[in-house]
Amino acid sequence: MKPATDTIRVLIRRGDAHSGRICVYRAPRRENQTVLDVVTWIQRELAPDLAYRFSCRVGMCGTCAMMVGGAPRWTCRTHVKTVLRRGQLELAPLRSLPIIKDLACDMSEFFAKWRRAEGRFHSSPERSGRAQPPVKILPSTPARREADAAIECINCAVCYSACDVVAWNRDYLGPAALNRAWSLQNDARDSAHARRLRAVSAGGGCQHCHSQHSCESFCPVGLSPARSIAGLKRALARGALGIRPHSPPHA
Amino acid sequence: MRHSETDILIIGGGGAGLFAALHAHAANPKLRIALAVKGLLGKCGCTRMVQGGYNAALGGGDSVELHFRDTIEGGKWLPHQELAWRLCETAPLRVRQLENEYGCFFDRNHDGTLHQKPFAGQRFDRTVHKGDLTGIEIMNRLMEQARELPMQIFEEHRALALLPARDGGRLCGALLVDMRGGEMHCVRAAATLLATGGGPTMYRYHTPSGDKSMDGLAMALRLGLGLRDMEMVQFHPTGLLAGADTRMTGTVLEEGLRGAGGHILNGDGRRFLLDHDAAGERATRDIVSRAMFAEMRAGRAAPNGGVWLTMRHLGADSVRRQFPGMVKRCADCGFDLAAGQVEVAPTAHYFMGGVVVDAGGASEMPGLFVAGEDTGGVHGANRLGGNGVANSTVFGGIAGESMAKYVASEFGAGGCAAPPAPQPGLAEAEAEHAAEPFSLPRGNVHALREKLQETMWRDAGVLRDAPGLRSAMAQLAQQKDELRRTGVGGGRAFNPAWHDWLNLRSLLDVSEAIAAAALARENSRGAHFREDFPGDGGLRNSHFTVCRQTGQNENSVEVTQIPVAFTILQPPDNPAPPA
Repeated sequence: MKPATDTIRVLIRRGDAHSGRICVYRAPRRENQTVLDVVTWIQRELAPDLAYRFSCRVGMCGTCAMMVGGAPRWTCRTHVKTVLRRGQLELAPLRSLPIIKDLACDMSEFFAKWRRAEGRFHSSPERSGRAQPPVKILPSTPARREADAAIECINCAVCYSACDVVAWNRDYLGPAALNRAWSLQNDARDSAHARRLRAVSAGGGCQHCHSQHSCESFCPVGLSPARSIAGLKRALARGALGIRPHSPPHA
Repeated sequence: MRHSETDILIIGGGGAGLFAALHAHAANPKLRIALAVKGLLGKCGCTRMVQGGYNAALGGGDSVELHFRDTIEGGKWLPHQELAWRLCETAPLRVRQLENEYGCFFDRNHDGTLHQKPFAGQRFDRTVHKGDLTGIEIMNRLMEQARELPMQIFEEHRALALLPARDGGRLCGALLVDMRGGEMHCVRAAATLLATGGGPTMYRYHTPSGDKSMDGLAMALRLGLGLRDMEMVQFHPTGLLAGADTRMTGTVLEEGLRGAGGHILNGDGRRFLLDHDAAGERATRDIVSRAMFAEMRAGRAAPNGGVWLTMRHLGADSVRRQFPGMVKRCADCGFDLAAGQVEVAPTAHYFMGGVVVDAGGASEMPGLFVAGEDTGGVHGANRLGGNGVANSTVFGGIAGESMAKYVASEFGAGGCAAPPAPQPGLAEAEAEHAAEPFSLPRGNVHALREKLQETMWRDAGVLRDAPGLRSAMAQLAQQKDELRRTGVGGGRAFNPAWHDWLNLRSLLDVSEAIAAAALARENSRGAHFREDFPGDGGLRNSHFTVCRQTGQNENSVEVTQIPVAFTILQPPDNPAPPA
C-alpha cells in the first residue's frame, strides 16, 4: 500500500435547513480514492456525527449523490482526481431538495413527483394474471428500445438537482419523473398511457422543460431525460393534432 | 418515546419486505400496515444490488423438479426440503407477477419471450434478468407499487429490539429509532415481519450494502429464537481490493470474468488454481475462494494482500465489449480491468443461515414472521446464483399472506383494534441500552470494527479449524467487552457514529453464533470448510446446526445438531467419511 503523500482540503456545508456553516477538514490523499471515501474518512476520523448517505458503494442505489464543487454527482463512483481543484474539494447537499442534516437531503418531494407523473406501471386486467406468461415483446421493436433507453434510472436525483427549471419552479415534475413516464409510455403492456399523458401535461408538466440538457450532462448512468421529455412533448402535440393520441409513438 | 399501533409491522424494505406489504394488503385491504426501513425505501439493502438475475423454471424442458434438485445438490443436502420446494414451485409465479402486475421489464429473446441465461451449478438456462442490473429493475418497480399502498412508511428507521409479551407467548411489535431525529418509537403490532436481510459485513472484505449489519438476526438471537445453518457464509472469489479506506473494496467483480477465461495470478505472477482443480479459474466459487485464501495466507500475495485478476490476454477491446459495466466501474476507481490487472480477494457475500421458519414464514414465536435472508434453511450449505432474489420475493409474498391470515384468525377480519401489549418496561430498557454509548467516554468504534473484521476473516472465514475458531470466540468476547466501554460523541440526530456502534453490537452477537456453529460442525459442506475435518461427514448422515443464545455472558450460544429430513429427495449412497 502506498502511504498517503499529501492531503486534500475539504470544505463541507454542515447544518440543517435553517442554518449552515462551511467546515474545513484535511484528509489524506490516496491513489485510488472516491469522493465517498473522503467523506467516510472525515466522518470516521474527524467528524463522527457528519450526516451523509450511501448504501451500495457501486453506483446501483443512487443514495450518495451530493454537490461536488458546485455540480451534482454520485460520490461512490467519482474519483477524487477528476474533481479536485487546487487540492481542494467543496461538498454540499444536493441542490433543490430540503436539507435534513449536513449532506443528507429529504427525497420525499422527488418521489412525490415521480408518483404525480404516474411513474408506475398499470397492468391491464386481461394481462395481469399470475398464470399467464409475460407478454411477447420483440426486443427489436422501436418502442421496446425507447423504453429500454430510459429504464435504467437509479433515482439518485442528480438530474433533478442539475435542472435549473426545477430550481426556478418548484412545481415542475423534473427530469427523472418525466423520464420514467416516457419509459412507461413506450411499454406496450401498460394500460394507463392516456392518463399518464394528462398527468405529465398538467401544471408543472413537461412543457416547462427549456431543453437546457443539464439532466443528460450530469446523469451518472448516461440516460437522457431531455430526450425522454422531448418524446412526451411530441406525443402531446400528436394528441393535440388528433393523431393516434393514446398509443406510444412507435408502437 | 413515541408510541403507535398497527396490524402488521414490516421491518425491512427490500424484496421480502415490499412483497410482504403488497401481498398482505391484497389479502386484506382493511389491515393497517407499517413498514420500517433502515435507509430510503427501495434504495438500500441488497435486493437492489442483484446483478445476475432470478431463477425460475418457466418450461421449455425445465421443471420445478430440476430446479429443486439443483438447489438441494448445490446446498450439499442441507436445505430444508419443504422450503426449497416452495421456493422452486413459487418462483415462476413471482416472475410472472413481477412482469404482468408490477411492470418489471425483463430482457427478451428474439421471439419476444423472456430470456433466461445460464448460471453456475444449474442444469438449465433459467435465470431471468434485466441486463446485469436486475435488482434495480425489481426494486424500482416494487417501490413504485409500494408507494401507492395506504401504508405508513418509516424511512431511515432502524429496529433496535423485538418486543415479546410478558409471558413470552407472542410477539407484540418492535422498538425502532428514527435515525434522522433520534427519537425512539415503540410500535405495537398484531403481527411483525422480520425482513432486514442478512449481509455478513463482519468480514474484512464483504459485498453487501453499507447499511447491512445483521440487525435482524441479532434481534432474533437476543429474543432467544433458534437460528439454523449459522456457519454457512458464502464467499465470492473476486472482490475488488482498492486499497486502504476505500468503500469499493470488497465489492464484486462479476463471475463472468472467470467464466470468460480470466486468469488469477499470485503475487509472483503465477497461475495457481490449476494446482487445486482441473477447472482452474472456472472451478466453483467455494473452491476458488479457498485456493485464493490459502495463497494469500502463505504470503504469495499482491501489494494489498490479495491476488491478481487479469483479462488482458483475452484482448483489451474484447474485454471492454464483453464487460462494459465492470470495466467502467473499475476505471471510475482508477483501475484498468481490460488491459491491466486488478487486485482481488474472496469477499463475504451472502448469509445462508437464519431464523428457523415453516413454509409459511412463521417463526416459533406466534406473531413473528420472518422472510428473505433473515431465514435459514432454503439454501442449506450454499446458495445458487439467482436463488437469492427468488428467496426474498417468494417468501416475502408468502409471509404477507400468512400475516393477514394470522391477524384475521387471532383478532378478526377487521384487524386488531388494540394489539397486545409488550412486556412492560421492555421498550424503555432497550431504548436505554441502545443509548448507552452516549454516556461512555468516546472511543474509536471504527477501529473496533476493523478488529472484528480481522478476527472473522482470519479465524472464522474461508478456511477454518478448531484452534482458530476457539481463538475467534475468545477475541469476540473481548471485543464485546470493549464495545461496552466505547462511547460515541455528538447528538442523537442523524449521527452515523451512533449507528456504527449499534451496527457493531449486532455484528458481534451474530459473529459469536457463526463461530459457535462453525466449531460444532466437524465436517466440510459447501461454504463451510474445516481444515481439520475436510470430509463431508456422509450425506445420508446430514445434520443442520441450530444456535440459541442462552444468556448475556460470553460463550452464551448453545448449538444443537438436528438430522436433515429428506422428505422429497434422498441423497445418493456415499462412502463413509475419512476417519
